[in-house]
Amino acid sequence: MNPAAPSGLMPADSASGATLHTIVAVMSFLACLTLGAVLTLSRLASEWTEGLSGSVTVQLLPSPQISPEDQLNEALRLVRQWPGIFSAKALSRGEASKLLEPWLGEGNVLDDLPVPQLIEVTLTPGQPVELAGLGRALADGVPGAQLDDHQRWNQELASFAASSEAVGWAVLALIAVATLAIVIYATQAGLQAHREIVEVVHMIGARDVFIATEFQRHFLWLGLRGGLIGLTLAAITLLGSSFFWDSREAPVGAQYLPQLVTSPFHYIWLLFVPAAIAGIAMATARMTVLRVLGRMP
Amino acid sequence: MVRFENVGMRYGLGPEILRDVSFTLEPGSFHLLTGPSGAGKTSLLKLIYLAERPSRGAIWMFDREIAATPREELPPLRRRIGVVFQDFRLLDHLTVFDNVALPRRVMGEFEGDYRAEVEELLSWVGLGNRLNAKPATLSGGEKQRVAIARAVVAKPELLLADEPTGNVDPEIGARIMRLFIELNRLGTSVLIATHDQRIMERVPAMRIFKLTEGRLTSANANEIAIAGAKRA
Repeated sequence: MNPAAPSGLMPADSASGATLHTIVAVMSFLACLTLGAVLTLSRLASEWTEGLSGSVTVQLLPSPQISPEDQLNEALRLVRQWPGIFSAKALSRGEASKLLEPWLGEGNVLDDLPVPQLIEVTLTPGQPVELAGLGRALADGVPGAQLDDHQRWNQELASFAASSEAVGWAVLALIAVATLAIVIYATQAGLQAHREIVEVVHMIGARDVFIATEFQRHFLWLGLRGGLIGLTLAAITLLGSSFFWDSREAPVGAQYLPQLVTSPFHYIWLLFVPAAIAGIAMATARMTVLRVLGRMP
Repeated sequence: MVRFENVGMRYGLGPEILRDVSFTLEPGSFHLLTGPSGAGKTSLLKLIYLAERPSRGAIWMFDREIAATPREELPPLRRRIGVVFQDFRLLDHLTVFDNVALPRRVMGEFEGDYRAEVEELLSWVGLGNRLNAKPATLSGGEKQRVAIARAVVAKPELLLADEPTGNVDPEIGARIMRLFIELNRLGTSVLIATHDQRIMERVPAMRIFKLTEGRLTSANANEIAIAGAKRA
C-alpha cells in the first residue's frame, strides 16, 4: 500500500491549532464588525453634510401684510428665478405632518399648531449660490419669509460626524492592536507546543529556512481560515441586521437609525481583515521559529 | 571522521558533565559507549550530533573544526550523521513512511526520489506493512525500528544510537544489534551508548569507551570481558 502524499511538518488538527483558530476567528469577527461600523459612519458623515449643503428651506411665517397664498406664490417666484436654484417646492400640510410625526405622533395635530409653511429648495450641484443675497431678497420682498441655509445644523452635524468617525477609527486601531497582540501570543504559544518538531527536524539536518517556511505556511493557512470564519460570521451579522432593520419586527423608530454596512464595496474592504490577520500570523511564525532556531547550535 | 581533544562541557553554570574528553572515531569503526547513568553518555552524543556546544576543547567533524564552522554550514554536517534517540523522537502526527522519509525531505528531495528506498528500508526492518501507521499505534520495538530506519535512510557516514536496546525485549534487542552490525559492514561507522553488557558479547571486536564521572577511558571488548571475569 502506497503512503499518501507527504504531510506537513505541523499537525493539521492539534489542540493548540484549534485554540488559535478560535482566537483568530473571534478577533477577525470583532475587527470586521468595527471596520463595518467605521465605514458606515464615514458614509453617513458624507451623506449628512452633502444632503444638507445641497438644500435650503424657506419658512413663511403668517403676516398681516399679505395673504398666505400670495406669500407662497411670491416666495416661490423669487426663489425659482434666483441663479443656482435647481428647484423649489412647497411642502403640503400632509408632508409637514409626516416630517413632525416622529416627535408629535399621528393625527391632526398640525391643525391646532401655528406651523409655518415650508418651501424645500434644492440647489444646482456644483454651482455657487448667493444665499445671503437670496435671504435679503426674501426678507425685503415677501413679508414673513425667512431663509434657513442649515448653516448651524450643517456645522454641528459635520462636527458630530467627524468626531464619530474619529472615535470609530480609534476603536478600530485598538481592536487592530489587540488582534495583533493576541495573534502573536497565540502563534507563539502554538509554536511552543510544537517545539519538539523544530528540534527534531533541526537535528536531522534541516536548514533554518526550510523549517521556517514549513511553519509560516502552516500559520498562514491557519490565520486565513480563522480570519475567513470571523469574516463570514461578521458578514452574516451585518446582513442579518440589515434584514432585521427592514423587517416589521424592527423596533419603533429603528428606521431612523443608520444601518450597518450597506454597500458591496464595504464587503471588499472587510476582505482585508482575514488577509491582514493571516499575514501577521505568518510573519510571527517565521520570526519566532528563526529566533528559536538561532538559540540552537 | 570525528576527533575530540580535551573537550569539557557543562550546562549553564552547573558542574562540568564531561571533562578532558579525547577520542577519535575512524571511518568504518564500531564503538560502544558505556558508563553508569548520569555519567554523561547522552551529553557526549549530543556534542557529536551537534545539538550542544562544548564549554572548552576542540571538536573536529569530517575534517571541519566545529568552533570555526559558521552555523549555516552545520546542517550539511548533521546530514552525514544518523541518530537513534533514546526516546525515539518520532513525530506523532506523521505516518511511519513520512517519519522515515523526513531526512530525505529536508535535503530537498521529492517523494518520487525516495519512495522506493524508504519502502525497501521499512521492509528490511520488518515494517513493510505498517507504512501508513501512526507512531502512537506502534509497539516499543516497532518505534525503535522506525527510529533506526529514519537514522539510516540518508545513508549517513556515522550512526549514533542512544540506548537502542533499552526499551525492547532481548529478542528485538538482538535483532537491532544485527541491523547495526550489517550497517557497519556496509561502511557506516557506528557508536552505541548503552548499559547493556550483552551487546559486548555479541560484538567482541569493537572498541569500548567508558565514561565515569565525565572522564572517558577506552578499552577493547575482550579486555573488558577478561577484567570482568577476573573480578568474578
